[in-house]
Amino acid sequence: MLLMHYLTLAAILFCIGFFGVVTRRNAVAILMSVELMFNAVNINLVAFNRFTAPDALVGQVFSIFVIVVAAAEVTVGLAIVILIYRNWRSIDADRVNLLKW
Amino acid sequence: MVNLTPLLPELFLFCWALVVLASDLFSKRRSASLPGYLSLAGLVITGFLLIPAHDAYLWGGMFVSDPFAVFFKIIFLGAAFMAIGSSFGLAGRMTHHRGEYFTLILFSTVGMMFLASAKELITLYVGLELTTIPLYVLAAYTKSSRASTEAGLKYMIIGAVSSAVLLYGLSIIYGLTGTTFLQQITINLSIYWLSYGELGPAFSIALMAILAGLAFKLALVPFHMWAPDVYEGSPTPVTAFLSVGSKAAGLAAIVRIFVGAFIAFATPVMAPRDWGSTLAVLAAITMIVGNIVAIRQTNIKRMLAYSSIAQAGYIMVGVVAASNLGVSAISFYVFSYMFANMGAFAIVAIIAERTGSEQIADLAGFSKSSPVLAGLMAIFILSLAGIPPLAGFLAKYYVFAAAVQAGYTWLVVLALLTSVIAYYYYANVIRMMYLSADPNPHHIVPSFPAGLVLALAGIGVILFGLMPEPILKLAIAAASSFVF
Amino acid sequence: MDQYLVIVPLLPFLAFVINGLWRNRMSKNTVIALAVGSVGLSFVTSVLLFIRLLGLAPEQRLIQQTLFTWIPVGTLKLDMAFMLDPLSAVMILVVTGVGFLIHVYSIGYMAHDEGIKRFFVYMNLFMFSMLTLVMADNLGLLFVGWEGVGLCSYLLIGFWFHKDSAANAGKKAFIVNRIGDVGFLLGTFLIFWTAGTLRFPDLAARAPEVFALGGGAVTAATLLLFVGATGKSAQIPLYVWLPDAMEGPTPVSALIHAATMVTAGVYLLARLNFLFILAPTTLVVVAIVGCVTALFAATIGLAQNDIKRVLAYSTISQLGYMMMACGVAAFGAGIFHLMTHAFFKALLFLGAGSVIHAMSDEQDMRKMGGLKKQLPTTYNTFLMATLAIVGIPIFSGFFSKDDILWQAFSSGHGNPLFWLIGVLTAGLTAFYMFRLFYLTFHGQPRYDQQTADHLHESPRVMTVPLVILAVLSIVGGWIGWPKVLLGGAWFERFLAPVMSHAGGGAAAETVGHSPSLEYGLMAVTIALVLVSIYAAYSIYNKSIGRATSLRQSLSGVYKVIYNKYWVDEFYGATIVRPLVKGSIFLWKIFDVVIIDGFANGLAYLTGDASTMGRKMQTGHLREYLTAFLIGTVLVIGFLIVR
Repeated sequence: MLLMHYLTLAAILFCIGFFGVVTRRNAVAILMSVELMFNAVNINLVAFNRFTAPDALVGQVFSIFVIVVAAAEVTVGLAIVILIYRNWRSIDADRVNLLKW
Repeated sequence: MVNLTPLLPELFLFCWALVVLASDLFSKRRSASLPGYLSLAGLVITGFLLIPAHDAYLWGGMFVSDPFAVFFKIIFLGAAFMAIGSSFGLAGRMTHHRGEYFTLILFSTVGMMFLASAKELITLYVGLELTTIPLYVLAAYTKSSRASTEAGLKYMIIGAVSSAVLLYGLSIIYGLTGTTFLQQITINLSIYWLSYGELGPAFSIALMAILAGLAFKLALVPFHMWAPDVYEGSPTPVTAFLSVGSKAAGLAAIVRIFVGAFIAFATPVMAPRDWGSTLAVLAAITMIVGNIVAIRQTNIKRMLAYSSIAQAGYIMVGVVAASNLGVSAISFYVFSYMFANMGAFAIVAIIAERTGSEQIADLAGFSKSSPVLAGLMAIFILSLAGIPPLAGFLAKYYVFAAAVQAGYTWLVVLALLTSVIAYYYYANVIRMMYLSADPNPHHIVPSFPAGLVLALAGIGVILFGLMPEPILKLAIAAASSFVF
Repeated sequence: MDQYLVIVPLLPFLAFVINGLWRNRMSKNTVIALAVGSVGLSFVTSVLLFIRLLGLAPEQRLIQQTLFTWIPVGTLKLDMAFMLDPLSAVMILVVTGVGFLIHVYSIGYMAHDEGIKRFFVYMNLFMFSMLTLVMADNLGLLFVGWEGVGLCSYLLIGFWFHKDSAANAGKKAFIVNRIGDVGFLLGTFLIFWTAGTLRFPDLAARAPEVFALGGGAVTAATLLLFVGATGKSAQIPLYVWLPDAMEGPTPVSALIHAATMVTAGVYLLARLNFLFILAPTTLVVVAIVGCVTALFAATIGLAQNDIKRVLAYSTISQLGYMMMACGVAAFGAGIFHLMTHAFFKALLFLGAGSVIHAMSDEQDMRKMGGLKKQLPTTYNTFLMATLAIVGIPIFSGFFSKDDILWQAFSSGHGNPLFWLIGVLTAGLTAFYMFRLFYLTFHGQPRYDQQTADHLHESPRVMTVPLVILAVLSIVGGWIGWPKVLLGGAWFERFLAPVMSHAGGGAAAETVGHSPSLEYGLMAVTIALVLVSIYAAYSIYNKSIGRATSLRQSLSGVYKVIYNKYWVDEFYGATIVRPLVKGSIFLWKIFDVVIIDGFANGLAYLTGDASTMGRKMQTGHLREYLTAFLIGTVLVIGFLIVR
């Protein structure tokens, strides 16, 4: 397994995540897709750490921070999705468009 | 034991935010006064704690307290002060979670302060998220309002995506250089470049991913789509804070990374892949789109949203210059922009509080019914438009001068032309207030904290237009934090 | 005395602040007293300063006062500093003097307007800005005044905002001027980056070393500044706002859109004469734009029926003269005409205001006529101003216009073609001015009975300024009595220290031109003017009543008169009628279709783009995300591909 393989995996995962964000209508699914993007970054970081500078654990520490912060982000995100459901009776992102133009 | 003195302002403000949170538990009265005034006091004290700051760093340079950081921290504190000052009316009507509202603004401010001081990617990222996550909550703070929750959703999802894109870029930079310290990154990149003669497409991808991620915070076109909706839907003081504090934070990050670490790649000298011209194109599109779309807006918050998109474009003109003059110019720009924009939003908040309307057309006859407020609004708008001798004019002048000096004359010509378009919608507000026959039924007297905010903003806009010397000195000192 | 310089702009500013903040608590009379009194005191101060300036040796006539350092940092050092040299001295005297008279006049004119307090607040702000403009010692501060007068102009044009047209006209003026400002600012940048300073005295000293004669930098900088000047001084192609600006109250038209603000562009050129003299290409452009504007606006003036619009086009035309003077490097002549024009054009506007006031706000000349009897003071003063503007000898306009024409012919930068166009314009000016004059004051009354009942001469407070301005319109030009007519050309000598000697008109004048040539040219001009006046007289002074009574009593003479009329009719049919038709044609084609069309088209285009941009904001989260994605891909692609 070369570094390239990991990076390719991460890139594919990132693109799948971005694709999901753009195509999903369900707000929760969008959040899940965002998680995919974050995880792609984590793979990148850990792989880089392993292959370029294995002694210092900077990349791994970075990925732990990313995981923590992403958790916080998703927590807030889900709370907002719940609010959306209360107000709109739906979590379909396409229906939430009061604000426009 | 590490000496934490450079971190003192942030630590203090963080603890103070917890105090504010607790204070709401003990304040029985159904008013926002106690936590509100406590927050204001905390911000002032933090400001005083900043004064003795001198060049200092922590943890091997992860966290620095240089003049640039201090300058931007002043801006964040000022923006937070004015946002909280104009929130009393809003908070007064809240039945729940009043303390949390102020606490969240303070938390976000702490995040911004961290961000401005970060010279290391992890710190920078955590600072950025600490800035943004409370803002997601604040945008959706009016829980029962469809508009507010929608604003929260849009802001949160696009924000999360942008931070993922940013992180992807950061991870590649880490992979290329094996370090997360900005200084070391510059050195390693130079070595890399000297050994191989170029940096390859991976570097370009990283550079632009970072740019895209941060462009979201500044609402540069085409990463701006969230801004008008979120600005319109959020509670007005939050909008004000978003448009100034959050924008300044994004700018601080961009300057730290691009001017601080990647300065060598600003021009095509070292590599054909320079970020300068890309950013110049973004700035150009941002100015054009922001100004043109603003013309047909009827909601004043939306109009100001597009105006602040355009303002970000002007700021980028200074970043593109990537010079000593450029950085001091944008520092001064953001400083003056803070007063004008916070002031304008504060007035919008006061009016909306009283009349329930955010339409530009409902400003008709405002100069008759509330002459002082109308006069202040006119001053803020004129400063945003860049009319001398107000601070906004000087700021624009500096930024454009920096860009001309850096050889971006075409960008300055474009900036000046688009600012002609901007006069169109700015003049429209003044026309509504001063040159409209309809009588306005509301005589509006702002509450004490709101009046304080307005006085502060008004004095700032006029005083720093006439006597910018002290601030310019600080701004120049801020620019000295970078090596050009 | 030096430290009193600031008083001149400060007095109106104080009145502005006091009236602006507390006008609702003060009585109308207090507000007026403050507003007018401050300008009066400012005028007195100006006179004192002027006397002080005269006491100095000609080469040392420069008083400076630095208030504080405005922008201190780095190489760009700007002060809040005022200066008074002969050029600014002339300007402050004109601005405060004419301004004071117009303020006094406004007391009467605006007496019944409920917005009179607001009116004076804006007027004082204007006076402050204008005085800052002409007394600034650097380009930065000048720009402060420059924008200030623009803002006041905007507010005052739209003063009667219950009229939609007024508010729109204000906006138009504001936007068009901003286009000029783009040029102004860019020019300022360029000057700063090449010369390293924006202070006028430093610039004047440094310009010959920094800039090569005819070099690219100085040509570009001066051309850009000239773009700014065309906006403010209503030259082609940015003149469109001025005719519309007549929607404002008449004193505003007199003060801002005739006497002071619109001349700021000419002032700018004169102030920076040491730069323009180094850029011959720019000078040619200035001269061409000036003389084309002069001729073009005059032709349009022929066929307008609104009394104020005629005067507006006349102002544009006269400003063209001033620009032409600057273009042939006769800056002194330009300023001289600026001054005399301030006197007689202010008087014309105020006279027109008096007529409009008397006619219950009627502005159409076709509905006037025969007002000579009812408005004797207005009539007499208006006649003086008309004689001055058409350039009848002894009247002020004659001297200044003659100076310009002679310089256009003889100066080193001049050209007989400029002179020819100038003389043609003078002829047209004489025609349309006397057309206006006869239509308004002579002939049969064409107004209805109701208007006739209200017809009255204006009160003293309005007529006294008219009389003073009339006197100035006559004697104001005497200070520039040319040498060739045995005068001292004092004005030119007074301004000489300010003017660059890198090749001005005075030097060229001595070379190879005899006084007899000057007499000859003068005679041609006067002859053409007289013929034009006669043409206007014969066409527009047809008094039916007088003609019939003459026919009855003197049937023999009647034939002669009749024949004379027949000749005139022929003359009119062959020359004047086509001219008038051409004028209407020109106005319709250029003003209405092309320029307005272009401006409106641009506005619509921007508006459409705005609507389109608005529609792109669909409110759908996923589309925003798509935009984000596309943006990211584009920026990455942009960087990798290039």
